[in-house]
Amino acid sequence: MHFGICSGKVAGNAEIADEMVEGTADIAVSGSTARCTGRWTAQTLDGIEHRLDTIAWPTGPVRFDLSGVEFDTVGAWLLNRTARTLRRSGRDVLLEGADPAATRLLELVESNSGACDAPVNVHVPGMFEEIGRESEQQWRSYADFFAFIGETAATAAASVLDPRKLRWKQIATELQLAGVNALPIVGLLAFLLGVVIAYQGGTVLRDYGANIFIVDIVALAMVRELAPLITAIIVAGRTGSAYTAQIGTMMVTEEIDALRSIGIAPQELLVLPKMIALVVALPLLTVYADVMGLIGGIVMSHSLLGLSAHSFVDRLAEAVSVTSFLSGIGKAPVFAGLIALVGCFQGFQVSGSAEGVGRQTTISVVQSIFLVIVIDAAFSIAFNHLGI
Amino acid sequence: MVDQQSTATLVAVRGVEMQFGDKRVLEGVDLDVARGQILAIVGGSGSGKSTLLRLMAMLSRPTVGSIRLFDTEVTQIDDAAALPLRKRIGVMFQNGGLFGDMNVLENVGVPLREHTRLSDETIEQMADIRISLVGLDADAAIKYPAQLSGGMRKRASLARAMALDPEVLFLDEPTSGLDPLSSDAIDELVLELKNSLGLTIVTVTHDMDSLWRIADRVALLANGRVAVEGTMEELAKSDHAAAREFFGGRRGRASEHAAVRS
Repeated sequence: MHFGICSGKVAGNAEIADEMVEGTADIAVSGSTARCTGRWTAQTLDGIEHRLDTIAWPTGPVRFDLSGVEFDTVGAWLLNRTARTLRRSGRDVLLEGADPAATRLLELVESNSGACDAPVNVHVPGMFEEIGRESEQQWRSYADFFAFIGETAATAAASVLDPRKLRWKQIATELQLAGVNALPIVGLLAFLLGVVIAYQGGTVLRDYGANIFIVDIVALAMVRELAPLITAIIVAGRTGSAYTAQIGTMMVTEEIDALRSIGIAPQELLVLPKMIALVVALPLLTVYADVMGLIGGIVMSHSLLGLSAHSFVDRLAEAVSVTSFLSGIGKAPVFAGLIALVGCFQGFQVSGSAEGVGRQTTISVVQSIFLVIVIDAAFSIAFNHLGI
Repeated sequence: MVDQQSTATLVAVRGVEMQFGDKRVLEGVDLDVARGQILAIVGGSGSGKSTLLRLMAMLSRPTVGSIRLFDTEVTQIDDAAALPLRKRIGVMFQNGGLFGDMNVLENVGVPLREHTRLSDETIEQMADIRISLVGLDADAAIKYPAQLSGGMRKRASLARAMALDPEVLFLDEPTSGLDPLSSDAIDELVLELKNSLGLTIVTVTHDMDSLWRIADRVALLANGRVAVEGTMEELAKSDHAAAREFFGGRRGRASEHAAVRS
């Protein structure tokens, strides 16, 4: 039985290891003999490493006396490397007195040293290659994104034709997660935003004695612009990232493949319910943010300008037209669709390991916030031209 | 037949119990690892093999009991005191445990870079040698863990575990998830390491062929204890119920026949 033979060797080894060589690693050259002593191990070799490079070697053959040395692999490699350098410079090198364990280690590093001699060429791409690669990758990711939109649209169309296909349970769950659970954070931030705007505007208006116009400032800013925007940004950070992380994890654990193999379209089960839920939830959250922002404005106007809540609400009807209100709310479904699409798409882009989930989630949040702001700017320009 | 001359016990486990929540995984384990041996820990899924390995490698602490590593009690040890011991052991993780943001060469160099003052050049050469030693080719050295197959990842993990010339290597399922050819190659490698470097190896495995090939001693865990311990032949012949159940199955028998034939 072959491990019987091995164990004999091991017993020998143990004895050798037991008679520990004392002292730090050292090398002394006298005449043609270099005597190595002490423990040549990774922990103790840093001094020797530099000395080996600067030592004055005899011009003729070199004899290494290894009888007083204990090696580990690093020590054996350093000696082997030195011997090679000497041989390359035309000297004869003799290694003598190594005990069996040291001999084995020297053989081991010798037989594996080929890896060091043939350094692997790491291909470092030049500037143009990098630009090219990056452009191609960007182009491909846009193409993939449009393909994804198409696929989702096709699934959506099929579900519209046959509403029984819709996953109502999933939609309800997503509504709870993306909508109801976001109420506290959206409410708090919108309230604070209302307070801040009222404060900033209020100090200026007070100087002019135009206190009542604080209502116009707070209401228009919140309802037209800030409530839809801040809600979309919060939802992108909160829900969009969750979509990417969920789908990405399912990619890594092969759950998406499992769905496909069972014959369930991942689009139908995962993307569509999220999308529908968010398109419903985000406008509702925006209305809620409008209200909370106005409450913030009322509180601040009252304490800063002494404007009563009653007068504030009275003025509100004049300050904010229905068109203004709708133009704010109208943006929300567009933002919602965008956030859901980007979030889900980035989830499906995850490949490899758990590390990819984190990377893709970051990309997803950055992209959806970026797109939300860009689209918001586009809306402003469009409204400006339409005179809304 | 397994070396009677060897006296040094590198790891001594005494009365170790481990509890996770309400679940007691280990209920009084006693186990010795002698220098220069390959000890295999076997047992069914959930029998606490990996838990025991983690305890011995100082990756977690037992609920009750004593573990002595190189004659030092490690169950209550602090990090500063554990460091010199950690440098003397190496752990190969089941899925590699390789750092994802470094390539294989850098991964293998981490222990040397962290714990020695060797030059970068030497560290890189040592990493190259280790990588060659575990049978990875030079192209693999500059790849990232995500680009490697399971077998290559295990090899890279082994190369890193050996970076500081440890006296004891802990291997967590070194051949699981590998094709038979790669499993054989890993077994060969483990044997070669033991023979050429005199390493002591503790391995957790399910792999019957691997057990017959490499293990000097086998400890079978059942019901939270070491049910039987001995050479593979002894365990295969054992009358103990747990051993009969574990080694008497069709796969166990097949491996035994294969081992006897070879």
